[in-house]
Amino acid sequence: MTTEEKSSPIKQRDLGKIIRPIFGALVAAFVLWRLYIVFIIEAKYGPQVWVSLLISGLIIGAVYSLIAIGYTLVYGILLMINFAHGELMMVGTFAGYFILEAAQAIKTPTAANPDLVFANAYPVLTIFLAFMVGMVVAAAVGYFLEKIAYRPLRGAPRLIPLISAIGASYVLQNISLLLFSPQLRNYDNPDALSRGDGWKLIINELPVNIPYTGVFTLVLSVVLMLVLLYIVKNTRLGKSMRAVAMDKNTAALMGINVNQTISNTFIISGLLAGAAGVMWGLHNAQVYNTVGFIPGIKAFTAAVFGGIGNIGGAMIGGMVIGMIESIGPTALGISYQLKDVIAFAILISVLIFKPSGILGEVLAEEKV
Amino acid sequence: MKNRQNQNRDMLQKGVVFAIIIIFIMAIGFHEIAASLTSRIFNVDVRRGSIAEVRFMMVFFGLYAFLTGWSNSGEEGSPAKKILHGLIVSVIAGLIVVLFDLILLFLTRNEIDIRAYLTAFSIESMNYFLFNKNQFGLLYHFGFFTVFGFAGCALKVLLNSASAQNIKERISNFFKNTLNKINGAMPPFLPKYGKYILLLLVIAAAIILPRTWGSYINFVVGLVGLYVIAGIGLNIIVGLSGQLVLGYAAFFAMGAYSVALLNAPEPHNIMLGFWPSIIIAIFMAILAGLLLGIPLMGLRGDYLAIVTLGFGEIIRILLKSDLLVDLTGGPRGINDIHGPTLFGRPFSSDIDFVYIIFACIALTIFVYNRLQNSRTGRAWLSIKEDAIAAQATGVNLRRYKLLALCIGAAFAGLVGGISAARNQFTGPNDHSLLVSMNVLSLVIVGGVNSIPGIILGAFALKGLPEILREVQTYRQLAFGILLIVMMIMRPKGLWPASRPEYEQYEDSNASVKNPRREKK
Repeated sequence: MTTEEKSSPIKQRDLGKIIRPIFGALVAAFVLWRLYIVFIIEAKYGPQVWVSLLISGLIIGAVYSLIAIGYTLVYGILLMINFAHGELMMVGTFAGYFILEAAQAIKTPTAANPDLVFANAYPVLTIFLAFMVGMVVAAAVGYFLEKIAYRPLRGAPRLIPLISAIGASYVLQNISLLLFSPQLRNYDNPDALSRGDGWKLIINELPVNIPYTGVFTLVLSVVLMLVLLYIVKNTRLGKSMRAVAMDKNTAALMGINVNQTISNTFIISGLLAGAAGVMWGLHNAQVYNTVGFIPGIKAFTAAVFGGIGNIGGAMIGGMVIGMIESIGPTALGISYQLKDVIAFAILISVLIFKPSGILGEVLAEEKV
Repeated sequence: MKNRQNQNRDMLQKGVVFAIIIIFIMAIGFHEIAASLTSRIFNVDVRRGSIAEVRFMMVFFGLYAFLTGWSNSGEEGSPAKKILHGLIVSVIAGLIVVLFDLILLFLTRNEIDIRAYLTAFSIESMNYFLFNKNQFGLLYHFGFFTVFGFAGCALKVLLNSASAQNIKERISNFFKNTLNKINGAMPPFLPKYGKYILLLLVIAAAIILPRTWGSYINFVVGLVGLYVIAGIGLNIIVGLSGQLVLGYAAFFAMGAYSVALLNAPEPHNIMLGFWPSIIIAIFMAILAGLLLGIPLMGLRGDYLAIVTLGFGEIIRILLKSDLLVDLTGGPRGINDIHGPTLFGRPFSSDIDFVYIIFACIALTIFVYNRLQNSRTGRAWLSIKEDAIAAQATGVNLRRYKLLALCIGAAFAGLVGGISAARNQFTGPNDHSLLVSMNVLSLVIVGGVNSIPGIILGAFALKGLPEILREVQTYRQLAFGILLIVMMIMRPKGLWPASRPEYEQYEDSNASVKNPRREKK
């Protein structure tokens, strides 16, 4: 910031240009140093540790992907960050939890087993119901959220809907706090899909557990993403969504109901968030009122990482963030408490070095 | 015909909404709190841990039903039709609540306790909601909605009729005339020096009043004062330069930990004293602002918001982790922070802190006003209104944005330092996201760029919940609802800034707006 700069405003970015490489070099040096220590000097982890971390990263990454798609869809259409999106996931988790609880409570005694409950008698139906209800409830909340908190603010300056979204996030978190109390609850899975069980993979004569819940999560989320891609690419609904994302006025002139399309977008993102929530519950067990906050922020990171507004980017971003978060603490040899720090650090680094994301649209810079 | 169908649908919708609010109030257990708040209005004290008498809940629900009728009387047609409209809405709401009551009745009759799933649905609470009257409770609910709903809409229609309007006008004219007469009779020097006299009065009040308040009031006033300083500081970033920062608590943490580490015996035992360390606290906060700001100032608003949120969380997680346990005390925080001394005597009772905080508020307001009316303030405003145009006229965007962030951070450092010394404790959870959100919402609720608004907002969001102890549990829910409602109804805040704002609606897509908004 010398006097020369005042006369030539083009040079305004110079300071950033100096700081960014220094910052980047520092981060890279830190990462390389830690990797060197962990892999070469200590070298105490065998391949089975990395494989199991990779698997758990993929599973959690699949959940992040589903949530990140919701962020990306809404951002693509309204250019706003739906801050309450993580809370939709929380709503889905709770809905699925109650379905499972009900299924565990209903008795369907048979001659062979008088204590048999509905969840164990019909596990497929139970899981299916949990997903359906979780998705539908989350979608309904998303629909009303848009209608109540965002629609009246359409066209207002950018920060106003964001603040409204923060408010909505608070409302949802606290409603669930007041309704369901702050206690931690555990998902009661059917026996067929109980947590911890899984296939054993033998690497170096040491077993690596591939949990059934994890495989289920991964497969189902891939299926959901393929369905979503099909909808967005090939159906009328998807075409209208893309048209509205491109230009609302022209889309309206072409006979597309803009408000309805925006509602549909929120419903779809709610469906995905609800599914992600039930998966989270089945795999990670715990349900509480702020369960959606940290995954929400991480999924947002994933969406930014992949290039916000870009559906494929959100999918890849979610997987990458999941794996980095899972492998990162061990690979860098730092405490597991700091895994959230790694996710936030990635967010900040991506926005500093490549705001457009890996596949992305250039939206993070000053101009749209 | 179609219009009539629409009207019917409208009535049904409104009835459902009002009924859902009642059901929701029951589901979060607010009806008990509402009853005890109502009893307070009638000056009846409710002991801690017990619930108010059932008649107070009757009053509450009566008022609610009155409101239902009042806000739903029809807009067109003859008076009878308008009243009928409101009455139908109330009756629909009443019927839905009765359906809900039937479920409750079933649960209470069979003594099914579903508290494990829904905390508010204890047998006592459900009974209380039914006015402790079992099945007659349903009739009470329905009756309230019918009678008071009718009263509400009838009263509103009556007040809006032509003769009532006439009377209203006369009364307001009378008041205006008397006010003019009083103004005319005032001595001429008062308007000229009124400002200074008022200032003197405020200073005198600020010196005398804390001595007369009890220590509890002083505590609350100090808390509100701290939030006022923080609000003004954040307003420099959010209101003047138009950047949304969600990690403001990170700067508090810098200030609080600076003062704490330099004044507590536990981790380092430096004992520098409060006054030098508060200066260091401010500089540490500015340093954090620089470190965060330099690489990120090019980002657009909502991205900056999320990144600062991430930054705040990183600071909190780092403070909480075992990594820095030797340096900062880890999750336990730092205890026993020594307060300030003045002229060799300790200056750290509640009253003393109120004085310090008042002085800091005065300083903050002075700095804020000087900044707002300066070249810098105008540059910020131009950046906020249109960054590209500002750049074209020669405003250095990065430098001014960075300046705003650093000045805002400095005030946060000051607040963090004072509050650490005041509480004699600071820990990672004092600097959570919630604190950032509180400060942001008080600025927005009070009114961006308006100092009276910020003071009002700080009192409403921090002071009122301290005084109304009962609603503590519901405070955050109220926050959230308040944020949404304020954004929709009064985006400029409770006490909007007097300076005109040239607000612009964005890009070409702006014309597809909600019709409700266009009407205004």
